[in-house]
Amino acid sequence: MSGKEQLKKVLIVDDEEDILWSLQNNLCNESLQVDISAASSGEEALEILSNSEKIDLVITDIKMPGISGLDLLIEIKNRYPYTSVIVMTAFPSNEYKKEAILKGSLHFLEKPFDINDLREMVTLAIKEDNMFRGTVAGVGLTDVIQIKALSGVNSALRVKDGDRQGIIYFENGQVVHAICDDLEGEEAFYQIMEFTGGLLDSINVTNMPEHTIAAPVEALLIEGMRRSDEKSGSGDGGENSGNEDSIVEVEEDNAKKEDDMADLKEVLTEFTNIPGVNTACLVGRDGFLLDSIAISGIDTEMIGAIASSGFGASESMGTQLGKGALSMSMIEYNDGPVMLSPIGTDAFLVVVAEKDANLGMIRLKIKKHTSEIVDSAAI
Amino acid sequence: MSEGKVLDIAHISFLDMIKVMITMSGAAAAKGTLIRNAISTAEKISEVDYPSFDEFLAAIENSTNPITQVEGKATHQGEFVFGLENCPFAPSIGNYTEVFEKLPDGYADFTEEFNKPSKVTDTFRVGEGAGVSPFCSVHQPMRSAIAERIKIGGKKIKVYQLGCKAGSGKKGFAEKWLVETGITQDVVDKVLDNHMCCYYVKVVD
Repeated sequence: MSGKEQLKKVLIVDDEEDILWSLQNNLCNESLQVDISAASSGEEALEILSNSEKIDLVITDIKMPGISGLDLLIEIKNRYPYTSVIVMTAFPSNEYKKEAILKGSLHFLEKPFDINDLREMVTLAIKEDNMFRGTVAGVGLTDVIQIKALSGVNSALRVKDGDRQGIIYFENGQVVHAICDDLEGEEAFYQIMEFTGGLLDSINVTNMPEHTIAAPVEALLIEGMRRSDEKSGSGDGGENSGNEDSIVEVEEDNAKKEDDMADLKEVLTEFTNIPGVNTACLVGRDGFLLDSIAISGIDTEMIGAIASSGFGASESMGTQLGKGALSMSMIEYNDGPVMLSPIGTDAFLVVVAEKDANLGMIRLKIKKHTSEIVDSAAI
Repeated sequence: MSEGKVLDIAHISFLDMIKVMITMSGAAAAKGTLIRNAISTAEKISEVDYPSFDEFLAAIENSTNPITQVEGKATHQGEFVFGLENCPFAPSIGNYTEVFEKLPDGYADFTEEFNKPSKVTDTFRVGEGAGVSPFCSVHQPMRSAIAERIKIGGKKIKVYQLGCKAGSGKKGFAEKWLVETGITQDVVDKVLDNHMCCYYVKVVD
């Protein structure tokens, strides 16, 4: 294979001949080598795209006679979804930007621009093309958001669910902006979280938008899951009536305890519903089991007794080291981790997982459900 | 030649081990371990069924009752309330304090932990204020667990811990179990004037 064949193909589209000529002649330098072709209209660009081997990147102006840059963008995203697009415009406006983002481009350049900025953007857009693309079944939006957060990236995540789509922006792993339909900021993020399935597309971002979200990723995810739960009707089903008058009859008390324990089972099911999690036990600090959902073959009474020593030992070590209260403890075995987390002051949760379980999800569920468990178990 | 003070190492080690357990994994975990140990001991006791309550009482009097065999002779105070004259841990405590003057640090926290409401103390109807030393967390559940192996006329019995007295004379009362049995604190207080431990036996219909 020759060096020429390995070059990425870039198509520049602009109705202004001067700009077209200038970019054709100046874009390449020592650090950026690409195979450039040019089109003076959207129609010509589409013809080149249909007659060429894969074009890796299209750089297009927005305002052009005939097919506009935005229409061209739509056509490219429909017909050539793996072709990146940089949009140039001499009329920067948030509306344009938003529309172009939702139509599939996360790269903007305002005219006039420094050629070095364009080179940098081209380099990033081409790099994006080198990344993995595809579908990983069973991986949810929450998983991907957590991965992006953990990896500390500057990028964006496009989420499509049927006709709807939204974009979440990450800067150093923090969610800083989101758009969805007419919404922006946190509300847009929560709207995206309510998508029930679809396609995820990770994109490098060259122009980070204005920050509209300040909340930490975990808080956003917890709130997002809470809202999704509420919408799907699996939430609390209403506030606790809190109808304690003065003296509660023993029978009523027992009935309440049974209800609470049923709620507790439901909450524990939240953990065992996570793929790869097979057992969740609520254990008193003294090691006596309060409730559990476990796969057969696990002696949960014994696990509770043993775990209480381990949990207590972890706490004691923290005290000795002056590390403060224990927030969570994870023991990693060859066949998967066991997570221990305090629940109130008198109990702790034991979550037994397989090797490939989503630990971030377990942590989030623990944070989300701790107060529910405290209420249900009356601890 | 005088032999001087002779330590019972089993006693000393046990008392010091409680302190080590508290340090290593906290009072709650240590409490759980001691209670599980007590239950495990109780499970070794053979089951017995007395034809009548009188037969049950007679077995206590002549020290053939499984409870008596473990903790010593108790006396029936009437209305199913029993008083135990001596704490079964008194020899251990005496042996320890004779040499080291005072019990290990951390025992007060442990006792407080035992008295806190919990599933296991509910199950065995102990604690809830009736604990006056860490040894109560062994002794009281053990007695209740042994009682689960005793029947009277084919009916199960349940033991409720009503109160206990420390070597210092300080008394502890389990308000929760007083309410549930209907026995007044005055009755228990009087029993504890001459006994170290006070419990109630209920024949379950």
